[in-house]
Amino acid sequence: MIIFTDVNKWYGSYHALVNVNAQVKRGQVVVVCGPSGSGKSTLIRTVNRLEDIQDGQIAFDGQDVNAAGLDLNRFRARVGFVFQQFNLFPHLSVLENIILSPTRVNGLKRNLAKEKALILLERVGLSSKADSYPGQLSGGQQQRVAIARALAMDPPAMLFDEPTSALDPEMVGEVLNVMKSLARDGMTMMCVTHEMGFAREVADQVWFMDAGVILEKSEPEKFFTHPEHPRAQRFLSDLRSH
Amino acid sequence: MFEILYNYWDLLLLGQYPSGPLGGLSITLILSLLGLGLAFPVSILLALARISPMPAVRIPATVVVYVVRGIPLIMVIFWVYFFLPLLIGRTITGFTTMLCTLVIYQSAYLSEVIRAGIEALPKGQIEASRALGLGYFRTLRFVILPQALYNMMPSMISQFVSTIKETSLGYVINVPEITFAANQVNNQLLTQPLAVFSILALVYFLLCFSFTELADYIERRITRKREGKHKKIKSAKPAKSGYIAMSTATVSKENS
Repeated sequence: MIIFTDVNKWYGSYHALVNVNAQVKRGQVVVVCGPSGSGKSTLIRTVNRLEDIQDGQIAFDGQDVNAAGLDLNRFRARVGFVFQQFNLFPHLSVLENIILSPTRVNGLKRNLAKEKALILLERVGLSSKADSYPGQLSGGQQQRVAIARALAMDPPAMLFDEPTSALDPEMVGEVLNVMKSLARDGMTMMCVTHEMGFAREVADQVWFMDAGVILEKSEPEKFFTHPEHPRAQRFLSDLRSH
Repeated sequence: MFEILYNYWDLLLLGQYPSGPLGGLSITLILSLLGLGLAFPVSILLALARISPMPAVRIPATVVVYVVRGIPLIMVIFWVYFFLPLLIGRTITGFTTMLCTLVIYQSAYLSEVIRAGIEALPKGQIEASRALGLGYFRTLRFVILPQALYNMMPSMISQFVSTIKETSLGYVINVPEITFAANQVNNQLLTQPLAVFSILALVYFLLCFSFTELADYIERRITRKREGKHKKIKSAKPAKSGYIAMSTATVSKENS
């Protein structure tokens, strides 16, 4: 579903992604973890070209992401992306946030888009908030709306860039629950997250990154009990000591 | 003063109308409204050009804005008055001259207001919109401008107040606006300049003051709305490098 082949990225002389070769298979949930500045967010942002790469190839659902003739907007509409800061549009109601892309990019009729949006809102447990504005919602609610907004375009895969890092602790659970239910429904997911409990429970694979390199790719059980790489061992013991 | 108002209200309000051309306060208002109304779309284009990633667009727009902001309004009036007829090959009325001047002058200032409004939006807004597949123009139309223009409403009303005052300079090229009308009244009375020009000052003041108050009111409302929001979602504040220009965001790299 998402295939990275020899991906390299530089910011000036800084080598942000180093020879990344990895694959997220259809229906898989992959959790990307690692210390801050390790390139996790950069990696996930290359998939819908919020970041460009200088070398290598990325394929999303069979589509070369960096192909010359690619209609970038149509392509991006098919990639579900959830941000750390939610990034809901504060001037639009919850419902309008969700139907913006379906109506304006895909040309879906407003009433059909609304029907679908309401189904999605129910799925994330926020049917009653359709007419609220983002400013009236808690962080956790906003992030769930952001997930519904991304789902509205029927993406074949969802990308999560630290979806719970900006949340107060008591709101992390509600967002993770939505993500878990997505995973159980068979959604292909790539998540940058520090939520190791989530990784343990639903991930099929954990990728550990440091300094732009994927150092380890393994099953969560193995990763958390017997990490191979010394850097990963240190990272996990740092996490546990808190 | 009341006697002057009583005798000359029609001249001050409407000029020679209906026996001659419209003038007085009504022309002042029409000039201001049309001036700002026409300057508005021009200023949006200028603001977008100013933050464009393309130097060929950005540099000329920047030069225009800096030049216009760096010269007095009366200079622009003279330039339009003397050179626009040469350029288009026929004479134009004082009203048209003044309108062109105001559009040129106000769009330069207003573009800076709008640019500030766009650049103050969190960078995540643009990213989220682009990630949803909305291109440059759709992002502008549905995400950026509605927010930027709303936030900048008080500043835009202040610009309107400036425009009202600036129309008084139309006097030097015989635009029959209210300053011109007051001067006509003064020439007829000859002995009461203090009263006449006090009336003029009062009219300007009342007009501008009410718009300034309106701007303040709207600003308070916007602030209240924002505070209400921030109380609830402290965590939603951008954690790092939240604010950057549209030009430096992802827009530059794409072939939208």
